[in-house]
Amino acid sequence: MGSEDRIEREITIAAPVERVWAVLTEPEHVGKWFGQGTPARIDLRPGGVMRLDHAQYGKFPTRIEKVDPPHYFAYRWASAYPGQQATEDNSTLVEFTLTPDGDGTRLYLVESGFATLVIPEETRATASYESHSGGWTDVLAHVREHAERLTT
Amino acid sequence: MTGDGPAEEVLTALADPTRRRILDLLAARGEATATLLAAELPVTRQGVVKHLAALDRAGLVAGQRRGREVRYRVRPERLSSTARWMEQVAAQWDARLSAIKRIAEGDA
Repeated sequence: MGSEDRIEREITIAAPVERVWAVLTEPEHVGKWFGQGTPARIDLRPGGVMRLDHAQYGKFPTRIEKVDPPHYFAYRWASAYPGQQATEDNSTLVEFTLTPDGDGTRLYLVESGFATLVIPEETRATASYESHSGGWTDVLAHVREHAERLTT
Repeated sequence: MTGDGPAEEVLTALADPTRRRILDLLAARGEATATLLAAELPVTRQGVVKHLAALDRAGLVAGQRRGREVRYRVRPERLSSTARWMEQVAAQWDARLSAIKRIAEGDA
């Protein structure tokens, strides 16, 4: 997959990892930083649902994948499909990694899986799918490349 | 993160590997007929016509009749808006991470 399959960010926060962990996983905090929604409902365990509420775009029932306090938290969310429960096939994976950095915390975020955001039934069963085709983000990159060549 | 995002029909159209290949070929060639595309793909001409119809419905290609054949080209607008959506997704994370930082540091 090309680099367009993922978004990566890292920031340093002047607060201990436990505090940052609370902000990422406790309902009243999550409700503040995700959209302007109401406090999220969070069933904090693998397979549990964290209900993100974005006042503008709708509600996103995410699926929690891994909880390793206070260092790693991962969930899938169907960001392109408001209201739909996140599954393997309609969602991207959001991963937060927290590392102590002096008195503070280094917070590393990855959202990945854009290239395979939608995989139709008929191709999922085909073994050649992975090997023979890039995802739609590759198409975007190619088409943009050609479009830019045409306009220059 | 949705809002101006790619319509579900765009994502669904892009989900199929053959349709992505068709878009790639059209982007590389500028334009092509279903017959020409079928010659380069492991799909019948009839199959290519179906895929082109799906891409057309999603607003990703446009066909123009020239005599007995229809020549297709990519319509970049919907693809560009999908690319912009990806950029927005990244920008929204910047905003969220700033908010997380503010809350954790006790300023919010």
